[in-house]
Amino acid sequence: MTVLATFFWGWLLGAALLGFGMGWIAVVHRAQAVSKVWMIWLAVLAAALVAASFARVVPGRFGYWLDLFLIMFALYLVGCAIGSWLRDWVVSRSKPAS
Amino acid sequence: MHGLFKWSSKWWPGMIPLVVLWGIAAWTSTATVEADLAARSNAALKDTVLDKRRIGVDGRDVTFAANAFSEDGRLSAVASVEAVPGVRLVNDETRLVPEAKPFVWSAERDVVRVTLGGNAPLPSSKSKLAEAAKASLGGVEVVDQMALARGAPSRFDTAALLLLDQIGKLKEGKITLTDNKVNLAGMARELGGREAVAAALKNLPEGYSIAANDIKAPPYVFQAYKDPVAVTLTLTGYVPDNNVHAALVAAAGRKFFSEKVVDNLKASLGAPSGFAAAVVPALGALSRLSTGTLVVSDREVKLSGDALYDAAAGQIRDGLGKDFPQGWQYKAEVTVKPAAAPVDPTVCQQLFSEIFSKGKIRFESGKADIVADSAGLLDRLIETAMRCPNATIEVAGHTDSDGEEAANQALSERRAQAVVDYLVRAGLPANRFTPIGYGSTQPLAGNENEDGKAQNRRIEFVVK
Repeated sequence: MTVLATFFWGWLLGAALLGFGMGWIAVVHRAQAVSKVWMIWLAVLAAALVAASFARVVPGRFGYWLDLFLIMFALYLVGCAIGSWLRDWVVSRSKPAS
Repeated sequence: MHGLFKWSSKWWPGMIPLVVLWGIAAWTSTATVEADLAARSNAALKDTVLDKRRIGVDGRDVTFAANAFSEDGRLSAVASVEAVPGVRLVNDETRLVPEAKPFVWSAERDVVRVTLGGNAPLPSSKSKLAEAAKASLGGVEVVDQMALARGAPSRFDTAALLLLDQIGKLKEGKITLTDNKVNLAGMARELGGREAVAAALKNLPEGYSIAANDIKAPPYVFQAYKDPVAVTLTLTGYVPDNNVHAALVAAAGRKFFSEKVVDNLKASLGAPSGFAAAVVPALGALSRLSTGTLVVSDREVKLSGDALYDAAAGQIRDGLGKDFPQGWQYKAEVTVKPAAAPVDPTVCQQLFSEIFSKGKIRFESGKADIVADSAGLLDRLIETAMRCPNATIEVAGHTDSDGEEAANQALSERRAQAVVDYLVRAGLPANRFTPIGYGSTQPLAGNENEDGKAQNRRIEFVVK
């Protein structure tokens, strides 16, 4: 994993920035939210993929692509969380002033 | 925390560009990652001795196939690949190099090339042997057909290198090492090559032994040619050493009383046993021929030429083989020289004198036994006596003045009688010869020194 991170830091940084942007937008976005049930299913799917990755059951290139996707997805989520949290902090600071 | 959960339900639109980004990343990086891992796996195995190594990378999974030379080596090779950073899985397709039982190695030489075959225990010894073959055989093509196998006897390299040295001494042949037994067959390049190989094989490492040594050497040839026109005896070919060389030349000098000995002999190893014991009597037989060739090839003696008279031919044909050491063969192609025209007794006397001016009939010291070296001279005397069948001949024995006169007288008489007996055995009528002993009464030279005494000890033929 560390090797992948050093090797592809550009792509990973891209994923994180993409997440940061999405997180930033998500706070004030009016898009339709994913339902709770769907969230649970998606979380289960993600957990299953992570388990498959750690168990190394997916062979060859597909295994590599799975790992790559999971790292990019994880960084995307981290970026989202930071973006959302920062946006929320900015929004809540500006509210009393307005 | 609740806010984070609420916001996260709206993060999904970013997944679309994320998947696109992932697709591009996967598309562009896969080949690079695979090449990088292959390079680093190979680098990790750089110092590991393996045969038929093959590394394939699929994503981050490495398929590693190789033949290892020991179980430890195999496990450590797999572990080194597993330790390469970035490798996710190693598909272990390694196995041990097959074990050869028996472990056979061979070197075969023909006219143009040396072929190394059989098994070698390690790539390093394989290349070492091929290099050594190229170096020691200088210029000869070396074909390396050695396979790798486990199960070599200990100190295999030392033994194989020593055997490889021996292949250089062969013109053609094959050396096979089966476990620790050595088989050799073929033809040595030079005389003595067989002996040189046998001597070198004594240095084989402990535990190795020779199962069969069938190396043959080129025939060991000795030739002598008696040329009646040039009055020479030409010796060519090989003799075992300088002592035998000197002994043969000395024997030739005694036996060939009138010929000049042309010595073209060379010393070489590889003589059959009993060489000198066979060649000296064979030279004696040649000395009795008017013209002839003696060819000694290994243990076969061939004598061809013309004897001076019938009885001599018979004696030469039948007599020589008896003197030979065991295992020697004798072939005589002896014909009889046409009888020379009869001459007057006076001419006969001249011919006798001429013969005696070149050589003397020799006896054992103090005895009346004619030595074998004088056979050639006696044949010549007999041939001459046959040319004047009507002449009666006085065979006169003389001694030097050493010892008592009576004893000298008796010795001279017995020696004269011995010569007459010899002539009669050769087929001449006994009544043509009168043996007379003169003791030391008719010296030719002074008896003061050895030279003079030697001249006085003599047999003379006087035609009456």
